Amino acid sequence: MIFHSLDFVVFFVVVVSIYWRLPQRGQNVLLLVASYVFYGYVHPWFLILIASSTVIDYLSARGMERWPAHRRRFMALSIASNFGMLGFFKYFNFFADNVQAVLAAAGVHVSPPVLRVILPVGISFYTFQAMSYTVDVFRGELRARRSLLDVAVFISFFPHLVAGPIQRASFLLPQVEAERRFSIPFATSGLSLMVWGFFKKLVIADNVGVIANKVFGLRDPSFEILWAGVFAFAIQIYADFSAYTDIARGSSRWLGFELTENFDHPYMARTPADFWRRWNISLSTWFRDYVYIPLGGSRAAGGVWARNILVTFLLSGLWHGASWNYVLWGAYHGVLLLATRAHQMLGPPPPHLRASRFGGQAAARMVVVAQITGMFALTLIGWLLFRETELHAIVRHLQLVPWHSTPEDRQIGLYLFLLAFGYSIPLWAQSIWVELRRGQPVRQEESWTRAGLRALAYGAAFAAILVLRSRTSLDFIYFQF
Amino acid sequence: MTTASGIRSLRHLLLSAAGLLLIPLALRGAAAIHPIPNLQPSYLPSLEGPRERVPFDASRPAELARMQPAFVVIGDSMAGSRIDPAVFARTSGQSVAPLLYAGSGPAWWYLVLKNWVIASGIHPKAVFVFFRDTNLTNVMFRIDATWSLDTAALAREDDLNAVVARRKGSAFYQVRSAFDRLYGATEARRWIEPAVNEWPARVMFPYRKPREAFMRAVNDRFGLDHLRPMDAADMQATEDREADFGAFVDKSQLPLMLRDAQRAGLRLVLVRVQRRPIGGRPPDQSPALQRYIRELRSYVEGHGALLLDDTGDPAQTLELYEDGDHLSREGRRVYTEMFAERIRLRLP
Repeated sequence: MIFHSLDFVVFFVVVVSIYWRLPQRGQNVLLLVASYVFYGYVHPWFLILIASSTVIDYLSARGMERWPAHRRRFMALSIASNFGMLGFFKYFNFFADNVQAVLAAAGVHVSPPVLRVILPVGISFYTFQAMSYTVDVFRGELRARRSLLDVAVFISFFPHLVAGPIQRASFLLPQVEAERRFSIPFATSGLSLMVWGFFKKLVIADNVGVIANKVFGLRDPSFEILWAGVFAFAIQIYADFSAYTDIARGSSRWLGFELTENFDHPYMARTPADFWRRWNISLSTWFRDYVYIPLGGSRAAGGVWARNILVTFLLSGLWHGASWNYVLWGAYHGVLLLATRAHQMLGPPPPHLRASRFGGQAAARMVVVAQITGMFALTLIGWLLFRETELHAIVRHLQLVPWHSTPEDRQIGLYLFLLAFGYSIPLWAQSIWVELRRGQPVRQEESWTRAGLRALAYGAAFAAILVLRSRTSLDFIYFQF
Repeated sequence: MTTASGIRSLRHLLLSAAGLLLIPLALRGAAAIHPIPNLQPSYLPSLEGPRERVPFDASRPAELARMQPAFVVIGDSMAGSRIDPAVFARTSGQSVAPLLYAGSGPAWWYLVLKNWVIASGIHPKAVFVFFRDTNLTNVMFRIDATWSLDTAALAREDDLNAVVARRKGSAFYQVRSAFDRLYGATEARRWIEPAVNEWPARVMFPYRKPREAFMRAVNDRFGLDHLRPMDAADMQATEDREADFGAFVDKSQLPLMLRDAQRAGLRLVLVRVQRRPIGGRPPDQSPALQRYIRELRSYVEGHGALLLDDTGDPAQTLELYEDGDHLSREGRRVYTEMFAERIRLRLP
């Protein structure tokens, strides 16, 4: 089921209406049933996978606690089952194609079997979430749960099931186990997130996505047209993915749950490390805690540290998809981090960034703006690698120069850029507003003026959805991962 | 939370909900800024309200009657990039009438069959309708731009309207159009959407003529000649939702096409084109899609028509393709010759 469908609206209203009439255990049963309906709505056979993953991880965690001497075996079972499923469904064809290519280069021609099934939606997200549970139990940071129901709800909780944010067991499981009470301020803020999320998806992401798709469908883009398309894609992927997160967080609040933030205005980042503290936070912290730090993190000697960074980012790139361009994208960001010697990668932000405001002298402001612009330009190069799946096309695109473009192509590039920029103004306005106010105290009590402005914004967003929603409805980008 | 703050929070929530639902009513005022002249009742009232329309093109059935073609080809760019009428006519030795419209959908195909072909009174050897996967049971496919149906539609199209109503009876369309009607969104969208999408061109070219020339140049820049081969990666995920023959056939125009063709004594041949091969292999087909095609074949053949399925044809290799599922110029020639030969064997 997808968020921007009437089916979801009806489903969600029904679930919320029943949910608050039930006791805590009944709520969890309802959440599990609802989550399985949500996930198996189009392809019921996907449920076999998530149910298997849940049962295996539940038993593995219980086994670790009951038989501590064999905890490594149980951990291995959990890893093998989760990564086995992920590897089989997501990477089998990629692996087979590459083996075939390598053998063909050596003069051996084989036809490896091809897996002709659809990649189960969200498998990368829920396997990582399930893994966080067993790893935390293995490390002794979390006790194994006795209730299979609670673990199953934790893994399958529908608002964030197919595209995150990936939740840690230590954060979400206690919420699953606790009594939940309906809170009006919580519901109001949830409604805010949902309205903003739908606006970002239907008005911004889907409209600029059409521009990006058109440009990346061209055989012979010019420099200006290509980068206008990359800019459009940068807006699309941020608006699209953060929209999913907002709708997930908003709908969770209506069920009494809080999910972690996944985006913190990433295009306001000033350094690569800063970017990764703001982009897909739940995934980057997952890789930090379960890959980077176990490898030795930043405390390792220079060469080892560099290796740790690269390994982490290569895996992060590969997580996104079974294609070399994602690996390249991961490597690019790893190299960026190494080049800027961001020692505090994925750690707490340094003080000068934590208070990143535009206040102060004009010169200081200019520096900040230059840093943000420079980092955004670097990010765009990354998005080119991410969006363009053909390696030879990436090379061709990077060789494009503005002085070879025709005047007409320059005008078309400018037109596309302005069009994408126009749609993205609300995103930029929100990010700049948040950056300017960062560090300022948040008012606890909401005034009527603020409530009125919010009501106005809701209405404007809904009106915009009615008249500006794209005629081309695109799936959420991160569904494919 | 204290009672006072609880009540305050509740009021804020209600205010938000009121803003959400009431402020868009301003769109009714926005719709009135640019009222639409020459409104006429739509022939698809279940889909839309009154609007301007392009007149029915009565010259088309007259032309067909004069031409008396042996073969009629109906379809969108899938047919257009596969069938070269001149090559088909030469290879088959028969006259061919192509009735093609890039970007058209099954509603247009049905209207063309009924109002142009059957109305012309001709009796060709076969009428071919080209389609992809589940197009034939998805009447909503490309129906949004209803103006594109105008030249093939009469003043009333009750049968088509009925299937559209049944199909969009799938709540989604009813709710969406109820909202659109309530807020006057369709009328407001008619001028707000172009205004938003054309603002950069208005800034760059303040005068109308150069602006229109520029917009034509933009369209040409993204025309077929500039596109590159693309993996039809959207194939499965999108199609599977539609790959339920039993659920959708009675909510589609397919039974109407078969009925009208049978009554008119026409031999209808539905041609499922092969989508773009991937990795040197025929395109993947989900189990649901395979089942759908089996059911489609059985239904079509049970109603006196023929289904030709290109999928899996080893001769239709990737080399024939240009972009997406379209064939290249050379691929079109090769395909047309193969098709003519196939037709010669199947329809002697």
